[in-house]
Amino acid sequence: MTENQAADVIIIGGGVAGLSTAMQLAGRGASVLILERERLGNGSTGRAAGLLGQLRGNAEHTRMLIDGVAIVKELERAAGVEIFVQTGSLRIAETPERAAEIASLVKMGKSIGFEIDHMPIGEVAERMPYMRTDDLVDACYCPTDGHLQPAELAGAYIKVGRERGVRYQTNTPVIDILIEAGRVRGVKTANGDYHAPVVVNAGGPWSYLNAELAETVLPTAAIGHYYLTTRPDLAHPVDRFSPAVRDRELRIYTRPESGGLIVGIYDAEPDLHDMRKLPPDFDMSRMKAARDSIQVARLIDAAHQRFPWINERTAMTITTGIMTFSPDARPFCGQMPDIEGLFHCSGFSGHGIVQSPVIGLIMSELILDGKSSYDVKSIEADRYFDIPGYMERDDIEARCLAMAGNYYGKVERAQSVDSSSPSLVGRG
Amino acid sequence: MRNLVVAEHDGTHLRSASLSCLTFAKMVASVTNSDVAWLVLGHGVEDVAAEAANYVPVIAVDSPALAHPLAEPFSQVIAYVARARRIDVLSAATSTFAKDILPRAAALLGGTMASDVVRHELVDGQLQCDCPQYAGAVTATLRLTGSPQIATVRASAYPAAQAMDSQAHAVEQLQVVPAMLTARAQYEGLKSKQKSRPDVTEARVVVSGGRALKNSQDFERLVGQLADVLGGAAGCSRALVDAGITPNELQVGQTGKIVAPELYVALGISGAVQHLAGMKNSRTIVAVNSDPEAPIFEVADYGLVGDVYTVVPELIEKLQYHAACATG
Amino acid sequence: MKILVPTKRVPDTDQKIVATADGTRVAVDHIPYVINPFDAIALEEAVRIGERLGESVEVVAVGIGGEGYEQQLRTALATGAHRAVHVVCGQTLDPWNVARLLRAIVEWERPQLVLMGKQAVDDDASQTGQFLAALLDWPQATFASRLELQGERIRVERETDHGIETLNLPLPAVVTTDLRLNEPRYASLAAIMKAKKKPLDLIDAEKLGVTIDPRIEVLRYRSAETQRRCERVRSVDELIERLRNQVGAIV
Repeated sequence: MTENQAADVIIIGGGVAGLSTAMQLAGRGASVLILERERLGNGSTGRAAGLLGQLRGNAEHTRMLIDGVAIVKELERAAGVEIFVQTGSLRIAETPERAAEIASLVKMGKSIGFEIDHMPIGEVAERMPYMRTDDLVDACYCPTDGHLQPAELAGAYIKVGRERGVRYQTNTPVIDILIEAGRVRGVKTANGDYHAPVVVNAGGPWSYLNAELAETVLPTAAIGHYYLTTRPDLAHPVDRFSPAVRDRELRIYTRPESGGLIVGIYDAEPDLHDMRKLPPDFDMSRMKAARDSIQVARLIDAAHQRFPWINERTAMTITTGIMTFSPDARPFCGQMPDIEGLFHCSGFSGHGIVQSPVIGLIMSELILDGKSSYDVKSIEADRYFDIPGYMERDDIEARCLAMAGNYYGKVERAQSVDSSSPSLVGRG
Repeated sequence: MRNLVVAEHDGTHLRSASLSCLTFAKMVASVTNSDVAWLVLGHGVEDVAAEAANYVPVIAVDSPALAHPLAEPFSQVIAYVARARRIDVLSAATSTFAKDILPRAAALLGGTMASDVVRHELVDGQLQCDCPQYAGAVTATLRLTGSPQIATVRASAYPAAQAMDSQAHAVEQLQVVPAMLTARAQYEGLKSKQKSRPDVTEARVVVSGGRALKNSQDFERLVGQLADVLGGAAGCSRALVDAGITPNELQVGQTGKIVAPELYVALGISGAVQHLAGMKNSRTIVAVNSDPEAPIFEVADYGLVGDVYTVVPELIEKLQYHAACATG
Repeated sequence: MKILVPTKRVPDTDQKIVATADGTRVAVDHIPYVINPFDAIALEEAVRIGERLGESVEVVAVGIGGEGYEQQLRTALATGAHRAVHVVCGQTLDPWNVARLLRAIVEWERPQLVLMGKQAVDDDASQTGQFLAALLDWPQATFASRLELQGERIRVERETDHGIETLNLPLPAVVTTDLRLNEPRYASLAAIMKAKKKPLDLIDAEKLGVTIDPRIEVLRYRSAETQRRCERVRSVDELIERLRNQVGAIV
């Protein structure tokens, strides 16, 4: 086993974050080893809905997501599978505040050359015959949005990664991170030690525990999430290319799935999971919601308000899983000042699938070049380093919980764009 | 240990599962050198009784009231015979017939019962039975502490008894009082299955198809036919539902059905975690896929790298041939 | 009309279930508990009957067991039962004794219909409903996939190995439910709120006048082999040989 126990980069975690990073690093000649505690893609990746809304609150993030789609399209060719389903997306508003959100988003999007426009409610009603629209005051549509199929995406990362020489070791939890004089040396597992000058913490909900192994603090928390998937209903057919919908007032998002509809909720009071309390063989794919869970009831209630044919008696499955939230819903990508060689890649706050293509690229740049071609200031790993209120677990959990609870709740305005920001037009 | 086996039949022939139960009964009886007899209930059961008599003696109760397997009269007669003949061990092959009727008879006899026995031992006159529990994840060894001891026996766990070609055993025609034959439940009819497959969530065998299947005809020809040969249900991955090749009801996986059959055959399925979430509790997993790196091989007990379009027809043909030899 | 729905609290069998190393029990410490899925189907059917017939139907859920049962009975109340009865009993009970306790409850509650799952997914015994019917001397219909209440009678379609059998029974009767009968609902917000005010009565098992008299002793548990062999076979013939000789999956 000794020949296989060294690498240029060891990645802890075989979800989309780790898989994408591995693929990109290997593409640039690095020898990469992924150590996954259980099965590749069986954590949050396996539970995700994968909605892709490219237009973010600011231009740089939007650019990242657009570039991510280009990476995905290449992956589709390389792996021979459909990953990106371009349904387009709708954001709908039923109050003046939400309409103002939409207006600012449309304005911002247009100013950077992103395809977005208001859509008359009548047209929304036509496109979405199975959705209630009589209470809407505004809507906007992005034709280039859609969703990424998580299973196909993960599979493509693995396939291309394998072709590039990435080694995958499953059922191998990391039990310690080896550090000497402030530098990472490798990791310890039940199978023995693995050595590398760079270790990437892509452990999803477990990331903060991995950080603790290295005696450092990563301000993420494990937050529960629920979505329902209806079974096809002849009375309410859902076309495969029906637009995804975001209804922030009701806190729900939706997209088509296998002839039915996925409806997910960003609940105002989500569950906090203590990852330490989980059994060692915890399998996220076996997580189940109780039939009388208040969160499920709230999900159904919200879904019902937008899709009146959905209620507690509808034939459907409930999927529940764990997301990794950060205090500002942005991921941590990069090193902390206290340990050299330990790169974090976590905290995707419900947007891991869609950010993973470009994040993998960014991580490979940070690791191999020491910097990224993107403006990564807002996703720097050390942005909360040593700041009071972001160091104790209680504080971190409270902040992440508040962020998750407000995720759709608070009314947002897109950052106004000044003339010096790069336009999206002309990017390849 | 006096043994009585309740025979299941179709009016003309014994059902073969009952012959496996007979083996169980004979094994139990042989420990103490005791008798085994059949109990044949029904209407116009001369042929069944005659066939059964090729194995062990038969007690036949023939009445129009027993033309259909109604729990009330059947359980009353079974309990009566068991008491009258001082039966120690009463058994039947596991089936919906036995599961409906035998427990009711068992309650009339004191409630000592084991369901779906796959292995047994007789220790100091008490049956110790291995019974699958928790959807087959665990086997419990149960000691039956009352008397008589009653069991439904899983046919696949015991070989079918062979008929001796010496002279037939005795058939006793037993009359029972009419009160025993009454039923408040009325039989209204039976709609026979007509080749419809078992439900994917309850079938012992599930044959499931994935992306490799190109259209519905191929699905039926390969997945469907293999399911039929194995007596199982057909399932599929999400990819086929999305492609409109199979209906949503067959989908196994995170947003589909969760299944735990004894045998799961994954044909052309890559093994994405969303699919595994629906079948990872299966007892034995077989995978056929042309991609040697497909993740399904990590969870399979047996993996065959190959094209389902060549492997499956060969598998079907050989299984059909073997089945024909076995019954031929 | 009163419909009694006996429910069993069981570990969720979709989780990974194994026996403890010493074989004395099933390792359920980390496994969540649920209402036995077949009993949930029975409860759903009872609730639907009530919705069809209106005010005149009372659905009573019963659970026999220790403390944990309260949670499952609250779920039953949140998914449509009008009232729940918790028969408090600390001992592990075999189907015989469960049936005897249920008989005492039935004699007290006097329902017209007992509707329960065909089997519990922990022991998979499929005995309790039939035992109860015999003890009560009521007609029975097991493995119901369709129910039709017609005044004082009930028509039941049953799933059997050879097809769908139709029976017509006078009430009172015991009916056990099969998978295809219905799909149980989730609890709506309103139902969860209402459930908090619904009665959950506690009865000590001893007060029912039944002396627990075990008929079955569990000697040990053994896990089914779960270590995946991951064996690559090279031909169809090899595969068939493995399935026949190693797995016993085909004859």
